[in-house]
Amino acid sequence: MTEAVSTTPEATVLLVDDNAQNLKVLYETLKDRGYRLLIANDGDKALTLAQRHLPEVILLDIMMPDMDGYEVCRRLKAMPETADSAVVFLSALDDLDAKVKGFTLGGADYIAKPFQAQEVIARVWTHAQVILLERQLQARNRQLENDQSRILNSISEGIYGLDSDGNIIFANPAAAMITRCTIDELIGRNFFDLHFRLGGNPRCAPDPANVPVDATCKQGIAEHQRDIVMQRRDGSCFPAEYRATPKREGDQLLGAVVVFRDISSELDNERALDDARALVQEQRDQLAHASRMSTMGEMAAGFAHEVNQPLTAITNYARVALRLVADEPVDREVLGQTLGKIEAQSYRASEVIRRIRSFVKKPAVGKEVLSLASLLEETRQFAEVDVRNNEGGVDVVVPEDLPEVIADPVQVQQVALNLIRNALESTRSAGNNEPVLVAAQKQGPNCIRVTVTDQGEGLSGDAEEKLFLPFYTTKSEGMGIGLALCRSLIQAQGGEIGFERPEAGGARFFFTLPVAASVPSGR
Amino acid sequence: MSETQQTVYVVEDDEAVRDSLELLLKSARKVVRPYSTANAFLADYTDSMAGCIVLDIRMPGMDGLELQKRLNERHSILPIIFVTGHGDVPLAVDAMKEGAADFIQKPYREEALLEKIEAALAQDREQRKTLGEKQEIVRRINTLTPREHEIMDRMIAGQANKVIAIELEISQRTVEIHRSRVMHKMGTHSLAHLVRMVLSVKDLIDDR
Repeated sequence: MTEAVSTTPEATVLLVDDNAQNLKVLYETLKDRGYRLLIANDGDKALTLAQRHLPEVILLDIMMPDMDGYEVCRRLKAMPETADSAVVFLSALDDLDAKVKGFTLGGADYIAKPFQAQEVIARVWTHAQVILLERQLQARNRQLENDQSRILNSISEGIYGLDSDGNIIFANPAAAMITRCTIDELIGRNFFDLHFRLGGNPRCAPDPANVPVDATCKQGIAEHQRDIVMQRRDGSCFPAEYRATPKREGDQLLGAVVVFRDISSELDNERALDDARALVQEQRDQLAHASRMSTMGEMAAGFAHEVNQPLTAITNYARVALRLVADEPVDREVLGQTLGKIEAQSYRASEVIRRIRSFVKKPAVGKEVLSLASLLEETRQFAEVDVRNNEGGVDVVVPEDLPEVIADPVQVQQVALNLIRNALESTRSAGNNEPVLVAAQKQGPNCIRVTVTDQGEGLSGDAEEKLFLPFYTTKSEGMGIGLALCRSLIQAQGGEIGFERPEAGGARFFFTLPVAASVPSGR
Repeated sequence: MSETQQTVYVVEDDEAVRDSLELLLKSARKVVRPYSTANAFLADYTDSMAGCIVLDIRMPGMDGLELQKRLNERHSILPIIFVTGHGDVPLAVDAMKEGAADFIQKPYREEALLEKIEAALAQDREQRKTLGEKQEIVRRINTLTPREHEIMDRMIAGQANKVIAIELEISQRTVEIHRSRVMHKMGTHSLAHLVRMVLSVKDLIDDR
């Protein structure tokens, strides 16, 4: 075996000659050179062997009884599986006509007898290499074609190849499935007629100046549109998304490739998602309302106190007034003063009740532009209802030039009240009477940050990870809904909520709200 | 009976409640002194105050319970009527345990309040009278010489003159003289009465 052939795959060489001596010489010449050698001493045997073994090279004697080399060659070339073999004619006939005839029949080469061993070796090697490479190339091509069609067939998007008039010259199985046609029914139809013009479904009537894909076919402009309506042959319609890419060869526009899909179920899903979002919003509002009611319940004793104070005063003044009326003579001036005091206390009681009502009512208003200064002040008055005996209460610090925010006032007040009440409770547990500090300030151009700082017990280490999770609580009587709900409410306003540990101890919770001017009106 | 006039001390942070209560009590012919904070009252407080306190249990700063505690520390005998809100029953219970005279819930009827005030004033009078008697007993005990005091203690403990004489190594006759001086100075002829008197002021004597 020589080095020259050791690196190439084994080639098969078929030797065909009616003369045994010639066959022997050829065999001796080519053996041990890395070829698989086959021998035939007539045309029939040569054809049988060639079909069975598909030799790369066939050394074919022309002058043979029964079937000559030309006939063998013609038949080899006629059979697809053997047509690519390299036929090298062997003949003593060293005339031009014989050579021409051999080439005309598809022969690859010609070796004159008596042949030189070196020439035979060289020519066989050359042709064997060429055919081997060609066959590898073809195998590779076949594989690529298979891959490509597998990809086109397996893609769920429909794919059309269009010429520049919009006629369909290629369609993949998905295109057929989406349009409920066979591929054969699609090929040759006009894309525009089929999907936009014929059938006359009024749902599918694109602006004639802006028919999808038209600009891609005519002007070579790529297009992408979603939620167009395409029509099927039977007149039914489906919502679609498509991309059209121009097909060019050099400067010439050949047409377009259109990738499209039916987005009915996607649109259904989007609608379902929108519905689900609306439901979540509704449930959040209900939860917020329920939580406000529960807060009211917790604060009932405080409110009862707030209402009982003016009621107690009214009862006392009324009794005094009755005594004054019974006196003789009646001191009208003192009586008038006393009745005035009764009236003032009545207003005071009704103001407390108004405040409760405004907090408990359902938030029908939604987001609005509002001033944090007044909102926080009202929340402070509200929270201090709950302040028990030895507490320092609540201080509110808001700069005068603080911009207005856009938010739902009832829900923001609920969050602020929740944080302030937590802070008061923590202060109470720690047994000190430092006031809770509520502050608001600008944070960047588009954001207001509200902080609620207490000097209370602070937060334990593991509370930090779970604080805003539902049903997590550090309080013995808590449900663990408060902060989780606060986060949900603040996120619905487009803000954030969190907490810090001030160096001075205690805890600081904060939330942010968008500045009204930074949010475009009309959403 | 104390010479000091009985006064109703109103301690209430809410201005309207305080003002209306003051007018009400004055129209019921009571002597009233209003205070807006517990601290203000405490600053004014003296032993000689007579009457009662109408005290709001919920107040910013020092609350009603805290004031009660401070007054107890100063051996005040002024009866306290706590004024409570709706949900303050547990607080009121604590106040009663600490010796409050009574409590009343806001908003109250005048009759109920006046009734409780009258009862408190009567209690104050009674306590002051007893206190006056006790102070007299203590004053009398203070006139005893150490020897007489020692002999009185043994008499109260039930020791016979003979036993006292042996233990103190004095004559039985001397014991009898001391004994009659004790009875004289304490203003009684009955040993049983002497025992009652001394036991009634036991807390006051032990304080010293």
